[in-house]
Amino acid sequence: MDAVLSGLASGFETALSPFNLMLVLIGCFAGTLIGALPGIGPINGVAILLPIAYGLNFPPESAIILLAGIYYGAEYGGRISSILLNVPGDASAVMTTLDGNPMARRGEAGKALSLSAIASFVGGTLAVILMSLFGPLLAAYAVTFSPSDYVALMVFAFASLASLVGSNPVKTLLGAVIGLILASVGIDANTGVARYTFGIPDILAGIDFLIVVIGLFGMAELIHLVEQQARGTLKTLKIDKSFVTMADLAKTKWTILRSSMIGFFIGILPGTGASVASAVAYGAEKRACNNASSFGEGDVRGLAAPEAANNAAAGGAMVPMLTLGIPGSGTTAILLGALLLFNVQPGPLMFEQRPEVAWGLIASMYIGNIALLVINLPLVGLFARMLTIPQQYLTPMIAVLAFVGVYSIVSNPHDLYMITLLGVFGWIMRKLGFSLAPVILGFVLGSLFENNLRRALSISGGDWSILTTSWNAVTLYILTVIIIVVPIAYGRYSAKRMEGDAATSAETPKS
Amino acid sequence: MADRIFAGVLFFVALGYTYIAFFILQAPFQYDPLGPESWPQILGIVALLCLAYILIRPDTEGFDLDLPTGGRLVALFVFLMGYAYLFQPFGFIISTFLFCAALSLMLGAKPLAAVVFSAATGVFGYFICTILLDINLPAGPIVAAFL
Repeated sequence: MDAVLSGLASGFETALSPFNLMLVLIGCFAGTLIGALPGIGPINGVAILLPIAYGLNFPPESAIILLAGIYYGAEYGGRISSILLNVPGDASAVMTTLDGNPMARRGEAGKALSLSAIASFVGGTLAVILMSLFGPLLAAYAVTFSPSDYVALMVFAFASLASLVGSNPVKTLLGAVIGLILASVGIDANTGVARYTFGIPDILAGIDFLIVVIGLFGMAELIHLVEQQARGTLKTLKIDKSFVTMADLAKTKWTILRSSMIGFFIGILPGTGASVASAVAYGAEKRACNNASSFGEGDVRGLAAPEAANNAAAGGAMVPMLTLGIPGSGTTAILLGALLLFNVQPGPLMFEQRPEVAWGLIASMYIGNIALLVINLPLVGLFARMLTIPQQYLTPMIAVLAFVGVYSIVSNPHDLYMITLLGVFGWIMRKLGFSLAPVILGFVLGSLFENNLRRALSISGGDWSILTTSWNAVTLYILTVIIIVVPIAYGRYSAKRMEGDAATSAETPKS
Repeated sequence: MADRIFAGVLFFVALGYTYIAFFILQAPFQYDPLGPESWPQILGIVALLCLAYILIRPDTEGFDLDLPTGGRLVALFVFLMGYAYLFQPFGFIISTFLFCAALSLMLGAKPLAAVVFSAATGVFGYFICTILLDINLPAGPIVAAFL
């Protein structure tokens, strides 16, 4: 506990320095803006702005504070387009549309926005508190992990990814393997052998992380936006004068707390971020209310649950990234890659070796959550006006930002072709039902996975049984089996129950 | 069907990747039992298994892209490649102006508004990035003429 308090104290010292404080506020403001823009979510916002933040030559803690602010700010702002436009910014905001948009349509837009802001605030803050309590503990434990334990952890991470993310586990797994394959290009650090470089000097050091990120999450999103635009127009609902009441808060307080806990713990699971968390929280809340028919018609609980959960998950996803070096979501994978660009190795030793980064980031999230609540309640009208920015101007801006970002790093015009081609590849993958987050997770984790496997086998002299000798590893493999089996079993169970329900409801009219 | 084509193309890529892993990659001398080739071997085999599954049991019906939308996407691709091609020789201001004007016009902006918007993005974007944020951008003939 002492360690936590002193860590937090030093963290606040970092985060409250005028420059970093300004970056927290800029990050939160920009994040809310990005989240509010229809079709662009946290992952795209962080991806597009990462090279620019990198190019500004900030110290690592300042850059990561800014990027994290954009991340949870966008998670916060995503609700605005969900509620007013019925267009979610990204997958994690889909659940918010279910009850948020009906509320706005019946003239309670102001109430929906203010209630969801408070739910987001509680979810986000609870997650940071849990993170500052458990993060150091987990890190202290993870220091004892051997290479073979890390291999088990990776297996667990990819299993939970395949099992929980996306509709088709094989496609998710393939996405992750594509990321791992991309990461295997370049000179092998152990032997100096060039792998898959085909004599091209640009990729001897590996494929550039920034290019993959901008291509898959900036350019692919741009193509997707143009495709959507060609198909129809969006209509914004007006914000009215209604505001959240004490009665609403009293009605939703347990919902918010429950959903925050669900969100935080799902966020911790490697690879599964806010989109899974908000879906599970919404489902759990609906069941807790006995499938009340008001869900989907504008129930305040149905709005509060996913919003609390997705913000809590954004915090939860940071925990494995900071303590284990394994990102908890697609966006934290990008943040992890950003830390690596700054030569900061996230992992159990970060709390000791780079406390200003680890604790500075945590402290900045306390400040950021309060700042988000303060700027979101009065300024929501301003952000809502962003929704009416004509898409024909917004879309070119995304491409310009992506080009500026990539060019500013290496000033190599070939990279501009690369991001465009990767964008086309990413767009095709999305169109075929792949999710792109596993690709970036695989790409970021590739060398960690391989190096630990090789180190483990060096220790054992080539004997593969070392992978299952420690209790940590065995526990993780058991968890792996559970995370694969439980969703399948649960899917069968609920499918059976649905059949049962259908059968009984079909019988009732006859009697 | 679209699944199958995509998976089929990737299958050949993965086949090449796995072939290189098994027959070409090797270190002249190595200290660890796995060497540089084992990890790509594992990845290649997993990728081939996943792709084979998708080839046998695809789950996406069609590609769902009508002709006008497809046309716009092709145009977008051409604009992006053109922007990349002109970025350095024409400089940021001119290439951005051309790209923004072309894309915003295609997306339905009025001509005058598109020209004003594109000029503003090019000029203000250049000065914000180079002077305020100290980011390196190609100057191109316009800026060079003033210097």
